[in-house]
Amino acid sequence: MSVGTCTRCSSPLEREDLRCAVCALPAPRMVEADGVREAVAQILRCNGCGAAVQYSAEVQAPKCDFCNSVMEIETPDDPVEQAEVFLDFTISDAEAREALKAWLGTKGFFRPNDLQDRAAVDGLKPLWWVGWMFDAHAGVCWAADSDAGSGRSAWAPHSGRFEMRADNVVVPASVGLEAEECRELVPYYDLARNSTEPKGHPGATVEQFTVQRSAARRIISRALEGVARSRARNYVPGSSVRNLHVSVLPSTLTSKHLAFPAFVLAYRYGDKLYRAVVHGQDASCVLGEAPIAWGKIIFVSVAIISMIALIASALV
Amino acid sequence: MGAVSAAVEAALDGLSCESCGAALNVAAGERTTRCPYCASPAVVARPRSAGEEPTFVVGFVIPEEDARTRAKAWMRSTWFVKSGFKEADVTDMRGVYLPAYLYSASARVGYTASIGENYTVTETYTTTDANGKSVTRTRTRVETEWRSLSGEWSAYLDDVVVTASRGLHNEELEAIEPYDLRALRRYTPKILSGWLAEDPSRTAAECATMAREEAVQQIGRRVSAFMPGDSHRELRYKTSFAHEHGALVLLPVWVLAVKYDPEQPAVRMVLNGQTGALVGRPPRSWTKVTIAIVAGIFALALVIYLGIEA
Repeated sequence: MSVGTCTRCSSPLEREDLRCAVCALPAPRMVEADGVREAVAQILRCNGCGAAVQYSAEVQAPKCDFCNSVMEIETPDDPVEQAEVFLDFTISDAEAREALKAWLGTKGFFRPNDLQDRAAVDGLKPLWWVGWMFDAHAGVCWAADSDAGSGRSAWAPHSGRFEMRADNVVVPASVGLEAEECRELVPYYDLARNSTEPKGHPGATVEQFTVQRSAARRIISRALEGVARSRARNYVPGSSVRNLHVSVLPSTLTSKHLAFPAFVLAYRYGDKLYRAVVHGQDASCVLGEAPIAWGKIIFVSVAIISMIALIASALV
Repeated sequence: MGAVSAAVEAALDGLSCESCGAALNVAAGERTTRCPYCASPAVVARPRSAGEEPTFVVGFVIPEEDARTRAKAWMRSTWFVKSGFKEADVTDMRGVYLPAYLYSASARVGYTASIGENYTVTETYTTTDANGKSVTRTRTRVETEWRSLSGEWSAYLDDVVVTASRGLHNEELEAIEPYDLRALRRYTPKILSGWLAEDPSRTAAECATMAREEAVQQIGRRVSAFMPGDSHRELRYKTSFAHEHGALVLLPVWVLAVKYDPEQPAVRMVLNGQTGALVGRPPRSWTKVTIAIVAGIFALALVIYLGIEA
């Protein structure tokens, strides 16, 4: 829970933060030390037996040599984060099955003819996969080589700077879904349809974040750098680019922990299982794998080769 | 630097032991003491106006025996040292919380550089083949075209640590860094109890200058990696810092002394109390070094001689 903002970079600070996660400025003390009017030599006493206690490197805390009790020291709180916003499920299990069937029918010529009819859903698992969504404002400096203005070498160096605003950038944290699958699902979500509790599909699994807050912030910072790099590409003149480097100075960086609805389906065709993902809000978005009709591919390949050979012999 | 007041220079007296009431005298520049009568460890709490309170502490992780073992192993692994050093005992050993500044800032850099872009040149040349005939062949070589580039680089700098103690030089601290700053804790006297803890003996301005120098070196490495091209030269950069902040942090350090010869000064070793990294200057035996060089030259000469004979 945010308790204020960093005075250097305006990023939000959590109660347990010792330093700003973005710019490392020490966070202000939430509780002021009690006022000491003049210097005093204070002895730390054991809560159990009252003996004087000293810090032990072995247990990394003050430990009483008489009764062996260990005093707790406030340690930086670095919890594993929880989803705080749940996008609603708006399609049902039956609609998800239908979406899969319709999708199988659109897979094209090189799939088995009976794929749509013979594919049988073997399992359907509704779930909320998790990810961070961040908003950021940052100054980005870039340097790169491109073919613009090149001389004897095919490359010429260029540099520049731009201000970047990034809104609603999703960084997947899912273990169940591939990062690429998550990225393909994201554009189809209606971010306005959300609630603070799981809604729309009772019994659906809610994935857990698996990294601690400090690690999450590093992942988000790297993602911001990735966004900056892809935007910087638009500023580099020329058509070919290499050695694109960016330095990012965020002035604000705020993030939310979201849960996104989706269905993971397993379907059987013949004796083999295939996996597909159906979007939890938009049934037109289906991802996954489908069997290939190798017979058709071989037939078409042979036909093409035969035609080429025929044309070649006619020309000769 | 953050609000930093002058280091507390004067010894503190008029303090009494909370346990037995005996008078305590806290040495200048120290934050902890031990009662000479009842051996109770005490941490001095001062009014906020008397000096800067540390912001963070990194607790000791390496216990005394472990630190001693690491130091002995390091001594045994040193080469060409004076007799007796490898087997000498550690004569003095102290666990000290070293005052240091944790510096952070935002840096904006303007740079100019010459960027090398490689290209391949194909050239023809005339040579003589195996039959002694003159033939024309082609070969390729890589040339570099140098182009000038100027631009900006900006980023937040964090985790620049410089000593605030005159007792331990910044080079020594750099040699035992890094500290794992994920283990930072807010300052609490609890962690200091029973250990020596020093107050800063360098001024905030001095520490800020050292920190900026270290930051500029760090920036140099990062800006160098930022350069495009196949190579670069004549990189020049000018840095301006903004939003600078220095937080006083106490870092765990084992300081060990080894007296290997009564006629010689003790050798000092400094060990990172969190990671065990060690720095020291072993007493070199120049006689051993000379013998090794002469023996090496002799062995090389022998090998060359035998090679010629063969």
